[in-house]
Amino acid sequence: MKFEDIYKAYWDRIFRLCMGFVNDYDIAQDLAQETFIIVWQKLETFRNESGIGTWIFRIASNNCLRQIERQKRFPKSALPLHLTEEKQYSLEPQIQFLYKCIAELPETDRIIISLELEDVKQSEIAKIVGLSETNTRVKIHRIKEKLTEKFKENGQQ
Amino acid sequence: MDSNNIDFKDLWKKQTVNQPNIEDLLARLKQFKKTALRSLWITNILLFATCTFIIFIWYFYQPDLISTKIGIVLTVLAMLIYLIVYNRLLSTYKNIDATQTNQQYLQKLILIKRKQQFLQSRILSLYFILLSIGISLYMYEYASKMSSFFSVLTYVMLFLWIGFAWFYLRPKEIKKQETKLNSLIEKFEEVNKQLEI
Repeated sequence: MKFEDIYKAYWDRIFRLCMGFVNDYDIAQDLAQETFIIVWQKLETFRNESGIGTWIFRIASNNCLRQIERQKRFPKSALPLHLTEEKQYSLEPQIQFLYKCIAELPETDRIIISLELEDVKQSEIAKIVGLSETNTRVKIHRIKEKLTEKFKENGQQ
Repeated sequence: MDSNNIDFKDLWKKQTVNQPNIEDLLARLKQFKKTALRSLWITNILLFATCTFIIFIWYFYQPDLISTKIGIVLTVLAMLIYLIVYNRLLSTYKNIDATQTNQQYLQKLILIKRKQQFLQSRILSLYFILLSIGISLYMYEYASKMSSFFSVLTYVMLFLWIGFAWFYLRPKEIKKQETKLNSLIEKFEEVNKQLEI
């Protein structure tokens, strides 16, 4: 597969995954770009043992996990610029609320639910995260319950 | 789909997405490589410059005593060890296979950070010890040519500085690194635990 094709096909999905993780447009954009930089560097080593989707989502989610370290080094409060820029991307409140709720979940739950919402098969999610399929299913179920609850509390239905 | 009629998938996909040009990405790729290289160069150049300076002194002044030569070798060795360990650690960290599962990846991160924690404090102590012995030996030849007052003064100053570095700077630096690493390891472990049901 050519890099350009992968980039076109996966950018949106990867971006949303990153956005679900950090809920910050600029950081998500950066994370998505970094993901594709890694994909570009590693594409030669890709062997079809797993689907290209699984492979790319693994890179993206691992990159999100690594973001934790950078977050510790540059806490958000050190970047006041984002406050003013956020409005630029304002969306329906419900969409914003969904991303906000997801970004507040435990880190691995963010990845799992983002992949689920991205229509990745549960067996694939299990392969990306490293859980058994049963555990993945249980997790997805619980996370959805949690989200529904939050939406209810907030009267967002 | 969802029991309460909230279509999360639909909401999820409505997020505004703005796909940058591939040219932008490639430009960034170049930039990225450049910065990575630059930071590597800065550390290396600084240390190499110091080493070259010392070797230059060796050739230029032709020390007579063996102690001076041993001193120079120890000093250079200290810097080289520090440099090599630091660079290798950095490269193993940068090259963790990103195509593993999240769980394997997290475990790898934790492992590397633990190793880093172990190495950092030991390497730093070793660095200080070698450097102190090296400089003390190195200065002997030159101090012995001074009047006894100045040679004693030189060594008193030197030992005061070494003491300050050993008892104040070294523990402070180690503590700083440890706090940073500990909180990071804790966080990674916490994330890893999330995967246990």
